[in-house]
Amino acid sequence: MDETVKKALLDIVREENFSDSLIDLISDSYDASEHKHRPDVAVWPQNTEQVSAILKLANEYKVPVTPRGAGTSLSGTTVPVQGGIVLDMLRMDKILEIRVEDRLVVVEPGVVYDQLEKALDSYGFFFPPDPASGVVSTLGGNVAVNAGGLKGVKYGTTKDYVLGLEVVLANGSVLRTGSRCMKCVSGYDLTKLFVGSEGTLGVITEITLKVNPKPPAIATCTAYFDDMADAGSAISETMRSGILPRTLEFLDDQCIVALNQGTDLNLPEVAAMVLAETDGFTQEGADYEMDKVIEVFERNNARGITRAYSPEEAEHLWTARKSFGGVITRLKNNFIVDDTTVPISKLPEMLTGVKAISKRYNVPIATMGHLGDGNLHPNILYDGIDPEEIARVRKATADIFKLGLELGGTLTGEHGIGLAKAEFMPLEHDEVAMEVMRSIKRLFDPNNILNPGKMGLEV
Amino acid sequence: MEIRGYNMPEDLYYEQNHFWVRDEGDVLVMGMDDFAQILAGEIVYVQLPEEGKILKAGKRFAKMESGKWLGKVYAPVNGELVAVNEELETNPGLINDDCYGKGWMYKIKPEDKGELDNLMHTHEELDTWLAEDIEKYVKE
Amino acid sequence: MEAKYNFADRFGDQVLRCSKCGLCQAVCPVFGAMLRPSYSARGKMLILKEVMDGTIELSDELIETLFQCTICKSCFENCPSGVDVPEIIRQTRRDMVQIGSCHPAFEGMNEVLKNHTNIYAEDEPEDFERERNKKAKYVYFIGCVGSYREDEATMSTLDLLDRLKVDYTLIDEVCCSGVLEDLGYQINERLARKNIDLILATGAKAVITGCPYCSRTFNSKPQYAELNDKGIKIIHVTQFLKGMDFGVKTDKLVTYHDPCDLGRHCGIYEEPREIVRKIAPRFAELRHNRVDALCCGAGGGVRGAYPKNSIAMARRRLQEVEEVGADVVLTECNSCVHNLSNAKLRKQKFRIYNISQFINELMEGTE
Repeated sequence: MDETVKKALLDIVREENFSDSLIDLISDSYDASEHKHRPDVAVWPQNTEQVSAILKLANEYKVPVTPRGAGTSLSGTTVPVQGGIVLDMLRMDKILEIRVEDRLVVVEPGVVYDQLEKALDSYGFFFPPDPASGVVSTLGGNVAVNAGGLKGVKYGTTKDYVLGLEVVLANGSVLRTGSRCMKCVSGYDLTKLFVGSEGTLGVITEITLKVNPKPPAIATCTAYFDDMADAGSAISETMRSGILPRTLEFLDDQCIVALNQGTDLNLPEVAAMVLAETDGFTQEGADYEMDKVIEVFERNNARGITRAYSPEEAEHLWTARKSFGGVITRLKNNFIVDDTTVPISKLPEMLTGVKAISKRYNVPIATMGHLGDGNLHPNILYDGIDPEEIARVRKATADIFKLGLELGGTLTGEHGIGLAKAEFMPLEHDEVAMEVMRSIKRLFDPNNILNPGKMGLEV
Repeated sequence: MEIRGYNMPEDLYYEQNHFWVRDEGDVLVMGMDDFAQILAGEIVYVQLPEEGKILKAGKRFAKMESGKWLGKVYAPVNGELVAVNEELETNPGLINDDCYGKGWMYKIKPEDKGELDNLMHTHEELDTWLAEDIEKYVKE
Repeated sequence: MEAKYNFADRFGDQVLRCSKCGLCQAVCPVFGAMLRPSYSARGKMLILKEVMDGTIELSDELIETLFQCTICKSCFENCPSGVDVPEIIRQTRRDMVQIGSCHPAFEGMNEVLKNHTNIYAEDEPEDFERERNKKAKYVYFIGCVGSYREDEATMSTLDLLDRLKVDYTLIDEVCCSGVLEDLGYQINERLARKNIDLILATGAKAVITGCPYCSRTFNSKPQYAELNDKGIKIIHVTQFLKGMDFGVKTDKLVTYHDPCDLGRHCGIYEEPREIVRKIAPRFAELRHNRVDALCCGAGGGVRGAYPKNSIAMARRRLQEVEEVGADVVLTECNSCVHNLSNAKLRKQKFRIYNISQFINELMEGTE
């Protein structure tokens, strides 16, 4: 990188917020995916003015800029594949406003999700999306990728809660989108354009979010299924049974085997385990919905249905689902987790299809996921050293994407395209859509400095 | 003025543990001198006692630390602590950056300004003192 | 193919098991205070992976992160893949020392302990107005921080032991030197020998210490095995005081900070709390407590090598004290008391004490 650029960056952020040390360049090469690439420099801006000055500089010298939050992307979204500047947003970490009377909060992008949840708790409010990475992931990252989460079934995803943004554009100008109102249809909905744009259209520097009152009542249950298709049907039937649970999580037999190997939970080695949770402002309401869930489960041959009657019991029921992340790497030391999502009615077919793919390529796949909104997480396990095995893994991954698309699904329900699914974009989006997306990218970023190489939009 | 390579302004009074005192009329300002701040290295902590604390000449009333050293701060005169430099709470390195200016540490209301005569002040006194301490503390 | 470095040999499979999930960022005190990815456990593992695959070598350039870890074990407790980062860091530091790439403060500490009796190279400890090297039932071992940085706290603890009529003696103790094992070096045999000889000479059947680091060192390091062999028990002062009645109480709101060396490293969480609850009926837990306790930032040599960052970490812990509204924070580790006290802001009106010190103050009526 040009020394002029480095010096200019130093002038903007000062020494304590700049690094071209080896240790930082290495750490910033990675996120939580299998991809890596070194940047040339890392900077930690403190405010919007600095972000603006940095982008203006980068645009002038045509230096790539990759924004970064907690770096927990599973798709390579924050890996600086063309080098350049990593724009680490962690030091912009203030909760600027909490206004429950307007049902909103305003935060800087570096605020960790959990940090916001804890701050809202004392007001009796919560921010629904609840991504599993919430203890570390930042709201900037959540918005940039349109993160989903454990409560997506009932509450939707991040995009449903973003009221407005402040975004710095590639030329350094600062754009404000949206409104502080619950409803606003004034002008184009620019907010929705940036949510999920994975840092390719602008750098988010302030976020206005809608928040919900927190329902105090919860009902939780787990159930086992001897036939995976039954589990799939149980879930899709629940979603049309006239109620809306807040969580419907699924673990397949491979997950159960992994859990039994890595913990002392001693789960029955069945085809699938499902966890359901309902909530409400009265316990009667939550229980009514849970009764319906259990009816559906029973109709679909569920057994061993266990219902929680206290918060401690509920926590116990969640243990299996929450422990899964911890046991994966004990089976094989590498894994790819995808988030292929299909229409709810297609779940049984999708699940069976994934099993067939696993067999076809002799690659273990442990599937779990937020099946209540059709969002699978197939975890493809492999050793990472054997090139022949890696080749089979790539084929299996591709086949899972193709299957999902054939069933009317999408490549990604919540993790984003990043690098991981970039090459498959044309399979999901026809040429008209691709060209429109590329045009938008060219409009916002004519020099292609904003997170270049991502989302399969390279011209 | 420079003495043996150290900046030791001549309008100040110096206490033997390397703290300086400046007469500002009603109040005395106290800080650490150039010799000590260089020897100590980067200051990381300065104890800032409550205002109103009664100081007894020669008695320790605070402590400070650099990465490798703990320093005791002794009262140069009898009096009352009336102010502390609160900047040092989050930026103790000011003592290294500007030990006679922004790095001032304490303000004292003296019982008797005449006690300043007990401190070192002349070029000769400072020169002898520094020579001794350089010998003692500055290792090659 | 044999690994080039010992860390790769002993822990290579664990380093590779790091799935880069980043969850350690939620608990790492260094990352939490500095918000720099290279400082988290994940950052360290990513760097070591590149060493293992030959992209880079161990070198001076890695010192800033490999030697900036308090060895608090929070990452290990929260790692879904069970990567024992503290052990890996300890071994990597040894490898770094071998190639001559060590943080100067740690190198300095090793040198100092070759020629002095304590980590500060200060040769005159407070005498604490008590005889040393008598014959007694117990030895009270103070530790370096207690002797040279927190003498007030130590005096209070000793006063308490006197009030309780404990038959103890101080010794001309020298640094247990256990810290060297965290820094890439080894326990100083000369110092260990001196401590053992002094302890044996008193005829004591047990050593009480306020420093959980010293108690861990005496209990687990082979250089001190002779103590165990001769049936001498090593007790942390909270284990000694547990079960006793002091006849004093405070009505202040009190909280307890788990020192890493007592908590995560030894599993001692409840004994100190039993004592605290007895003297402080109004007790509140800090948000992160017991196995989740937030490290004060002093350990693993960090206070010596990176004092400003160390104090920044302590400041973060103290925010949790503010959150809970406590008037008093109790702990039982001089290193924690030292770092937390240095970090406390003037506007924060709570006080920080060792439990033993606080009990003494209550009995004296001066708290």
